[in-house]
Amino acid sequence: MAKKKNKNQAQAEIVGFCCNYTVSVEPEVLKERGLVPESIVFKRLPCTGRLEVSAILDAFSEGAKAVFVAGCKIEECHNLSGSKRAAKRVQYARKILEELGIAPDRLEMVFVPRGESEPIVEVARELKMRLSAMEGQS
Amino acid sequence: MIIAERKSMKEILSMLEGVKKLLVLGCRGCVAVCSAGGDKEVEIMASAIKLGKKLLNEPIEIDATTYIRQCDPEYLEPLKKDGKKYDAVLSMACGVGVNFIADLCPDVKVLPGVNTTFYGANLSSGEWKEMCAGCGSCVLHLTGGLCPVARCAKRLSNGPCGGSQGGRCEIHPETPCVWHFIHERLQEQGEADRLKEIMPIRDWSTAGEAGPRRRVREDLLP
Repeated sequence: MAKKKNKNQAQAEIVGFCCNYTVSVEPEVLKERGLVPESIVFKRLPCTGRLEVSAILDAFSEGAKAVFVAGCKIEECHNLSGSKRAAKRVQYARKILEELGIAPDRLEMVFVPRGESEPIVEVARELKMRLSAMEGQS
Repeated sequence: MIIAERKSMKEILSMLEGVKKLLVLGCRGCVAVCSAGGDKEVEIMASAIKLGKKLLNEPIEIDATTYIRQCDPEYLEPLKKDGKKYDAVLSMACGVGVNFIADLCPDVKVLPGVNTTFYGANLSSGEWKEMCAGCGSCVLHLTGGLCPVARCAKRLSNGPCGGSQGGRCEIHPETPCVWHFIHERLQEQGEADRLKEIMPIRDWSTAGEAGPRRRVREDLLP
């Protein structure tokens, strides 16, 4: 049950779980280039199919206000069905978040064509905007 | 196997009001097979409770483990002592496990993490269907192996009823009429004449209508 904790995750406003095969550019480079908000922590996985629902919930427990999962395009998954499994787990995690009174749109899944980073940049910016809008409402 | 489903987090958090130290206890029996209360579900439940309690600003310490079964006394033995360390134990087993903990570990406050629903078969990943009602008076030898108690909405002993249309149940049109299939099956097996016999009124006392059921086999007693 023990999980390795990322020191930065406690301060992370947004956590992005990214499939190793979809992210062609080092996520930190995206930050350095100012393409994604500074408050994001990327966690690379060998395959998003390995991502458990509990890891998503734990990211919220550790302070994240939003989470996204970036996997291969369904039909191009490096491990055949990894991103399909991840999408189902994201769906289940959204259900639990809703039951807990957390807006499920704080959690997103994106499917990234091999070698591209644009969908990751887009979802990161979109979540940042949503969070700003939610904070503006409260 | 026994099929169960996770209770809503709202209900779980309501049960856990005031609980500061919790054990989430899974079972590797039926509830693990139907993905309701095995290792993985225990881990998810622990994470969900941790997040829910954080939102409520209520600190909680959570341990999680899974026993081989919660319906056999030998596997519950450690809980008699270990369970006392917790304000509550959230059992992810079926109602049998929860009851057995309550019986054997009176010093442990046990709470149910799942709703126990029915005895079912696994149709495909993530889909289960009731196949047996545990009525204690099996008539499957008379009905081509298809159970009219579990699979007929009216639990008819001599069907189908007048509402069966095109092989579908009038109460749940998406459900096949089991009596329609019983007729078809017995005709295929050349035993259609069996349907001319009227099945007697069912004795429901074996179905638990006369209190909790108990079975003893002298040859196996210690």
